[in-house]
Amino acid sequence: MGCDIITVSGDTKFVHLAWQTSEQELSAVKYQMGADPTGKLARMFGVWLEDAGVPLRGTFLISPDGTLMNTEINFLNMGRNIDEMMRKFKANMYLAKKATEGCPAKWKEEGDVTLKPSAKMVGKVHEALANDGNPA
Amino acid sequence: MSTETIQVGQAVPDFALETYNPATGDFDEVSIEKQKSEGRWTALFFYPADFTFV
Repeated sequence: MGCDIITVSGDTKFVHLAWQTSEQELSAVKYQMGADPTGKLARMFGVWLEDAGVPLRGTFLISPDGTLMNTEINFLNMGRNIDEMMRKFKANMYLAKKATEGCPAKWKEEGDVTLKPSAKMVGKVHEALANDGNPA
Repeated sequence: MSTETIQVGQAVPDFALETYNPATGDFDEVSIEKQKSEGRWTALFFYPADFTFV
């Protein structure tokens, strides 16, 4: 999908190797597994739990120019939903190419209705959503 | 050591991480500088620890 996924925990690269090669559930994993043993990177993103010494389940999307575009932070016991993540990733990657457009709440993929904020749009979002993005 | 937290819309400071790369079965490194120089999007997935449920 044009995005490099890097997983990060406080474990070292040696532990990542041991886990990935011993756990059959991870046998198909191809993404880089990053080591942040001091929590320096996790602190930068505000997900390091100082008392527990582990990071929260944080997801961060960074554009090719190095800008943080999206974040989602779940507590330790809440797993991530890949469909939720993919929608937000796709929307951000689409908007990077279409700077004048906005993705409404129901946007799922390229081709879905987008909105172009303008004076004509004011008070007419409902009509625009029903009319291929054009305020009636 | 405290580092200021980044907000959405802000530039991510340069960072590099040692990695294990399952695609090659070898150790590797990733850096935001390299991702930028290659014009690539990056998604960081933090999780609590290896050898726990995913």
